[in-house]
Amino acid sequence: MKKRLAVLLCVVMMLTLVVGCGGNSSNNEDVIKLGYLGAKTGSVANYGIPAEKGMKLAIEELNENGGVLGKELVGIYEDNKGENSDVAIIVDKYISRDKVAALVGDPCTGLTKVAADLAQKNEIVIFSPGATGDGVVEIGDYVFRNTLLDIFAVPAVVEWMIEEKGWGNMAVITTLDIGYSTDLTPVFKKAIDEKGAKIVFEDTINSGETDFTAQVTKLKNAKADVLVFTGYYTEAALFMNEVKKQNLDIVLVGGDGLYGQDLAKLGQNAVEERVIFYCGFSSDQPSPETAEFLEKYRAKFNEDPDMFSAQYYDAVMILAKAMEDAGSADPKVFRNELAKLKDYPGVSGNTTFREDREPIKSPVCLITIKDGEFTLLEQIDVK
Amino acid sequence: MEGFLLQFIDAYYLRILVIIGINIILALGLNLITGVTGQLSMGHAGFMSIGAYTAAILTLQFGLSFGIALLGGAVMAGLFGFLIGIPTLRLEGDYLAMVTIGFGEIIRVFFLNFELGGKATGLYGMTKYTTFTTVWILVIIIVLLNAKLLKSRHGRALYAIRENEIAAEAAGVNTTLMKVLAFTIGAFLAGLAGGLYAHYMGYIAPKDFAFMKSIEILNMVVLGGMGSIPGSILGAFILTIAPEMLRIVDEYRLLFYGALLVILMIFRPNGLLGNVRIYDLKKRFRKKEV
Repeated sequence: MKKRLAVLLCVVMMLTLVVGCGGNSSNNEDVIKLGYLGAKTGSVANYGIPAEKGMKLAIEELNENGGVLGKELVGIYEDNKGENSDVAIIVDKYISRDKVAALVGDPCTGLTKVAADLAQKNEIVIFSPGATGDGVVEIGDYVFRNTLLDIFAVPAVVEWMIEEKGWGNMAVITTLDIGYSTDLTPVFKKAIDEKGAKIVFEDTINSGETDFTAQVTKLKNAKADVLVFTGYYTEAALFMNEVKKQNLDIVLVGGDGLYGQDLAKLGQNAVEERVIFYCGFSSDQPSPETAEFLEKYRAKFNEDPDMFSAQYYDAVMILAKAMEDAGSADPKVFRNELAKLKDYPGVSGNTTFREDREPIKSPVCLITIKDGEFTLLEQIDVK
Repeated sequence: MEGFLLQFIDAYYLRILVIIGINIILALGLNLITGVTGQLSMGHAGFMSIGAYTAAILTLQFGLSFGIALLGGAVMAGLFGFLIGIPTLRLEGDYLAMVTIGFGEIIRVFFLNFELGGKATGLYGMTKYTTFTTVWILVIIIVLLNAKLLKSRHGRALYAIRENEIAAEAAGVNTTLMKVLAFTIGAFLAGLAGGLYAHYMGYIAPKDFAFMKSIEILNMVVLGGMGSIPGSILGAFILTIAPEMLRIVDEYRLLFYGALLVILMIFRPNGLLGNVRIYDLKKRFRKKEV
């Protein structure tokens, strides 16, 4: 009996496999497909979920206005769990089965590289609205990204810290097991060096740690004016809790890895006006384009968009514009138009692609927390 | 070979087939340690990462050919398997599981701090040497050698250790040597799979080889049936394909995946092909013929 059931279960499993293959293999010529790259489960899902919403909103909006080149735009949304092998499998599926015109994603640099390698080989445009690390667009001429790059933003932020705030002695804390953090720390160090400030204290933490007593005690003795924190928001919030507990008066400055709603929830009044981070998007004091986007997003999803929703929204819009301008949805044709993008007024700021396809975004928003909400502190221009 | 296959299946299937091949090598390695010899090891991804990083560094930094790098990675992992094998002489069951979990974590944290390995960012830019043909030729060779080993005197000694270590020793089996042997070969295979993986993805990072990866490999062995070569192959096959075909249920994918494991374990507590060995299958066929 049990044996039969097991056999039956196996048969059912195999059947679902066959069904799964038959389901989405239609190659309708009347639609243009875009493949979403991002995690809906796993440790980086907090980037992927709002990103998917931003992409869905953009596609819906374009279709309401008659689609792109008179064709309907279709988004395909697979969950890559933030894992390399899943990303590679999904990209192969998008390209060989769904025949997408372009890939939108991934928010993480490492995963984007895996996807970009495959996209370049198959001559499909990949547009990452989140990869900030090194060596992404160098992969090939089908690889684009639109996000505030640390190498442009950090020098501007460091200059602001020194000139506006007079913080000369800096402490740097790196989260050792997160690539984002270990990549960002050297960028900060280089900028601090070049602008003539001093690093008086350096230490490391690991993600998932909750007790930072030792680091904060050491920081207290270091007499730093400001703390540069290159990790993610969870650890930043917990770190600031400890700082408050030890009655240390210091401001934490970091990158857009701190842009998560949990920062204010976990940090409560320990992060209140004590955390400043830079990013390319702020829902505070919006431009007309951003205001319109905010209104639509709030109406549809009943929540505030974050940087990733805005950048995915922009990515779809920019791709659509390039296709319209080129009069074709063939990646070989519209990539040339895409590379010419100049001063595009997106909801996440203005974007221009440099000769080497690196995006230059301006302005940089400095954000702090006031009354538990992200509030725009200042906007600085990037040269 | 790829070009020929691509006429029938698309790149999506081809990729899944290659990943299945790599997972089969991993599962066969762990099967030897946990399934056959009965030593619960939960750090198999650690051995895999040693192989992956060694092979990747050998091709990237030293410009060695793929074959030598692959072998280098496997030998390096085998060496660590040997070193881990030694303390297992004193430890059993749960205690050994804890030691191997610890080992896996140490390796992961080591690579997080390893300058040459790119720290948390990982290594990128390996040429993608690994192809469907290389992976599956290796799979066939490994399955054949593995079957030969298990059928031999040494193989039966390994099974004997699982069933009753004291009795095995009394019967003249050098349990110390055999356990270390199982660990070394298992780690060697994991290192080989790691090298293949690194040169298939072109990108590796410490988080690819975290604790969950070890559990995934253990799942393949347990689900397929401990100690069975066809079982490990089936386990690797099902656990690689299941998450893919469950894409149709979208958000509930991982829920279904978990439920599938629970159901299978309830109805087949010994695994799908528990204790089915290749030569048992052959015998059964022969009986039918007569």
